Amino acid sequence: MDFPIRAENITKNFGKAQAVKGVSLQVPKGMIYGVLGPNGAGKTTTLRMLLGIIDPDSGTRELLGHSAPREASDRVGYLPEERGLYPSMKARETIAFMGALRGLDWSEGRKRAGEMMENIGLGHAVDKKIKQMSKGMAQLVQLLGSVVHKPELIVLDEPFSGLDPVNQEHLELLIRAEQARGATILFSTHVMGHAERLCDHLSIIVGGLVRFDGTVESAREMLPMQAHYVPHTPDAKLVKLLPEGAAADGDGWRFMVPEKGVEDILAKLIKSGNGIAGLAMQRPSLHDAFVKIVREAGGTVDLDEGVVE
Amino acid sequence: MTHFFRHVKTIAHRDFIAVVGTPMFLLFLMGPLLMIGLSYLSGAGAETAAKSSRDAARIAILAKPADIPALGAAERELEPMELRVPKLEILPSTADDAKAAHDLLESKKADYFAVMYGPLEAPIIQHEAESLRSAAYLRELAERVLRARKAAVTSPAKLTKPQMQPIKPQRNGVGGQLATAFGAVLGIFFLTIILASQAVGMLAEEKSNKVIEVIAAASPLEAVFVGKLIGMFGAAMLFVGFWGVVLGVWMTNYPMGQALAASIAPAVGIGPFLVLCGLYFAMSYMLLGALLLGFGGLASTMREIQMLSLPVTLLQFAMYSIASQGSGAPGSTIATVAEIIPFSSPMAMAARAANDSALWPHAVALGWQTLWVAIIIALGAKLFRIGVLKSGSWRTLFSRKSAA
Repeated sequence: MDFPIRAENITKNFGKAQAVKGVSLQVPKGMIYGVLGPNGAGKTTTLRMLLGIIDPDSGTRELLGHSAPREASDRVGYLPEERGLYPSMKARETIAFMGALRGLDWSEGRKRAGEMMENIGLGHAVDKKIKQMSKGMAQLVQLLGSVVHKPELIVLDEPFSGLDPVNQEHLELLIRAEQARGATILFSTHVMGHAERLCDHLSIIVGGLVRFDGTVESAREMLPMQAHYVPHTPDAKLVKLLPEGAAADGDGWRFMVPEKGVEDILAKLIKSGNGIAGLAMQRPSLHDAFVKIVREAGGTVDLDEGVVE
Repeated sequence: MTHFFRHVKTIAHRDFIAVVGTPMFLLFLMGPLLMIGLSYLSGAGAETAAKSSRDAARIAILAKPADIPALGAAERELEPMELRVPKLEILPSTADDAKAAHDLLESKKADYFAVMYGPLEAPIIQHEAESLRSAAYLRELAERVLRARKAAVTSPAKLTKPQMQPIKPQRNGVGGQLATAFGAVLGIFFLTIILASQAVGMLAEEKSNKVIEVIAAASPLEAVFVGKLIGMFGAAMLFVGFWGVVLGVWMTNYPMGQALAASIAPAVGIGPFLVLCGLYFAMSYMLLGALLLGFGGLASTMREIQMLSLPVTLLQFAMYSIASQGSGAPGSTIATVAEIIPFSSPMAMAARAANDSALWPHAVALGWQTLWVAIIIALGAKLFRIGVLKSGSWRTLFSRKSAA
């Protein structure tokens, strides 16, 4: 199998802080590969090392077959976490400039910029200056600049942050279109919904180490099925009849389905007179699996801000 | 290498357009007009004041009527020598010349610096303590009148009839060479300090709007540095070219300009000298620009940029001082030192082109300066990589290992 990205035990220290403790990745060609992790997990540092923006302190990496990643820079597109554009530059010029940095002719870049912006409904803004655009529009322009040279590998660091739902959908479509073209896409996020919808494969990094490597399905299969039970007559005491860890959820209860199934539990509930007004069996989400992996790795969860270490 | 230069070209193209394609560049281009205008206004004011002062200055002779024509003739004899003394008034003597002289010296209508009265054989010359030249001039007039009388020369006709033969020497005068050398040092210094000092804030824009991450991911930092320098140098050359044309027109069409052009007398000849000055300006710009770019890249705020640029500017002033001293003493130790120190070398070598006709030292100097530009850019890029991108450590600053 062809792997546009390979990393073997790469590490990075910033002073005394160990940002990446030993990350190994293999990104197969043509896949959408997600790097998930809480804030401060080392995702961005890992991506920057893979791209050759910074050097790892130890370990090896290979980008499109080159151990010196810069040698492949013309075949790579990159959207950094901290977005940055020249405010006084027009969108068309910005995209052409980013293409020129990756070896695309300026005039061809300008031509493609017009077409690409037209395709995502931003044709009217092609000759607008970046400072005249909304943050979301500018972000899309930067994304277009990252792919204008039709790279084989696209690396996107938190691409969805700062975008409204409409632009998030634009971005998802664009990522799928790039994959359909044959590009390999590696992106980092801590928003599980996007990863769940887009990723063929993912790695979860916590505390500078890869804690999970597999498909979305295999991540979700780490947790048992969940049941959502609604009684006829709500009664706080019936929690004693449910498995350990059951929690109130709306007008019912949510609990993990035991290995031997729910039949015994349901029998007890019927016998107790609470009855069954509703019962739904649900596969755990990637979010649930992610939270479990983070917690097991010693990270903490912030319910408002997502997941933090 | 092709890859490197392609990145240089891309960055230079972007920066050049970004600088030149704004209305601010017109303001920058026309900046010297403001300077020339202010200089003209202040110069005109000073000239008016000086003229008024000159017009008010007087010296006087209280002479017997019989001596007045002879004194007038003596004055006319001395006139071609341009002795730069105040305007002479020859007045008839009075009953009390001492009082009349005193009145003149105390006059509020004009400034009398010296007054002579009494017999020409033993005149009294009253003068301000500092006006010895005026006093000597009055004595010379009296002396000439008496000598002419003693020799019985009454005709105003000249006794000698010299044959005047104006010539245009082909040699370059040493004084002209030295003046040209100093002018070259001064010109390169001023142009460099005005134009290259802008390099200090060039990476600040990329850092503040985070574009640096996009650029650093795609291009080698050394190429980014060189590209930025070349982009800014292109804008600087537009400035130099524009004002060079203006200067050229002035030097060919106006008497003052023609006089200045005639005084430029470089040892290597005017053509090679202009080419060498252009090359040395480029080197001076690159050296100072690379240093400022390297330091400026580390700064995060405008205050830090200003603080970092101050020592570099002071360094350049010190380099100017060495180079200008060297330009006045060709072949001296100070001149050689100035030619070797990388930052003074472009100025000192331009001065050498004015003072010495040998061309081979310039090839060596240009190579030497290019080497230093490369060293400074490499160090600046490494500093930026360590200090801003947090890649590598200060321990590896002088090692040859670079980011992949």
